Amino acid sequence: MIGNSLRTTINFGPIILLYYLSISEIDSHFENYFEILSFNIQLIIIYFWSLKRPTALGNGHVFFAGLINDVVMGLPLGLSAITYLTVSFVATYVKNMTVNTTIATDWFTFFIALLISNALFIILVSNFSEIKIDISSISYNTFFTLIFFPFFWFLFSAYNSILTIGKNV
Amino acid sequence: MSSSRDDFSIAFRSALLQRGAAQKFSLISLIIVASIIFFLDVFGFNFMKPIRSIINDGIYRISLVASSPSRFIPHATGGVTNLFNVKKENERLKKELEIYKQKELNVEFLSNQNKNLKKILESEESFLKKENIVLSKVLIDKSSPYLKSVIINRGSKSGILKGMPVLDKEFLIGRIVETNYLSSRVLLLSDLNSRIPVTFGDEGTQAILKGNGDAKPILEYLPEGYNVEEGLDVFTSGKDGIFLPGSPIGKTNEKGEVVLYSESSQLSFVKVDLTKKNKEVF
Repeated sequence: MIGNSLRTTINFGPIILLYYLSISEIDSHFENYFEILSFNIQLIIIYFWSLKRPTALGNGHVFFAGLINDVVMGLPLGLSAITYLTVSFVATYVKNMTVNTTIATDWFTFFIALLISNALFIILVSNFSEIKIDISSISYNTFFTLIFFPFFWFLFSAYNSILTIGKNV
Repeated sequence: MSSSRDDFSIAFRSALLQRGAAQKFSLISLIIVASIIFFLDVFGFNFMKPIRSIINDGIYRISLVASSPSRFIPHATGGVTNLFNVKKENERLKKELEIYKQKELNVEFLSNQNKNLKKILESEESFLKKENIVLSKVLIDKSSPYLKSVIINRGSKSGILKGMPVLDKEFLIGRIVETNYLSSRVLLLSDLNSRIPVTFGDEGTQAILKGNGDAKPILEYLPEGYNVEEGLDVFTSGKDGIFLPGSPIGKTNEKGEVVLYSESSQLSFVKVDLTKKNKEVF
């Protein structure tokens, strides 16, 4: 009984983490230590789990996490949802097109996903919103998100192997 | 060649349209819904305002609850942050001490400056004459690489309107940019979208304080050839009719930036000045 509920909780791990990061004050912007250091963990979570185990992170959850993030961050409603779903789309496409992936291929395709989602973000904000956003901040954020991807890849891969225990993959 | 094109289109369509046991919605339908929500919100349709207000109030409260572990477990975030900040804080305090020492030696300069500031304070809408203030707690101060803002626990129910100035002690820290029934969003002076008319120096030089995304906003639209001296007190000029004249903001540095008196990352309680009831149009 306890084992089942623990397994269920572990299965919901990525969703819980995604929602928690979107709604809580915990952020990945470390301007106090290094002015330009900020990265977007949500995008890494969405990309990794959409690619490796889509059942762990439904599209609906990605959408709602994006809406929540918009409210907390003060961005136009739906903006983060669009960027998150774009990343999820690229991951699903890559999953459909490839059989075996390595960290190098995942890293490269994540870079493409980041470029597309951030380009979309900039286009939507600069053309349809009155919010002014510093392009250099987005560039630094993209750069560090890309740099930190391998670290989270190993971390999530280890977690994924826990999820896989006792299952026919 | 044609088979690779087929593979591409199959994978593309599959990624957009596929729904499995765990995927109750297809990606394309969610992207369309998100786009509709985005455009409804951006183009400010009237029916979206109360909906957004309710959503904001609800999510801010949930966010407050969700953030409570990180507030109560000092080692999770705050403690570590403080530890790293000790050295920085020490350096800052040393600099402040140096500035105060210089102040003592520069009485004449300060007396001239006071004369100038008194002229501002004697105006009808003096900063000192304000009585209508609402004390608010900072609910969320999630740091963002893009927007510098905080959420406070007072909204239109408490009489808060868009554009109202927000103070930390007596120092101006920003203005209200979004009001909900029970909460409001404060745009900080350091945000890229912030523009405040200010005055400083012996001659009451006028300028616009522009946020640049960093901790130190910059002075713009200065008189031609004007060189900003270090250590001048910067106050709101009240020229925009939104902010009361004479609210202290910070001190100038040699780069033409303003070192704010109030550190935005350390805010816990702020005051909203309700004196000006005129609603700013954004």
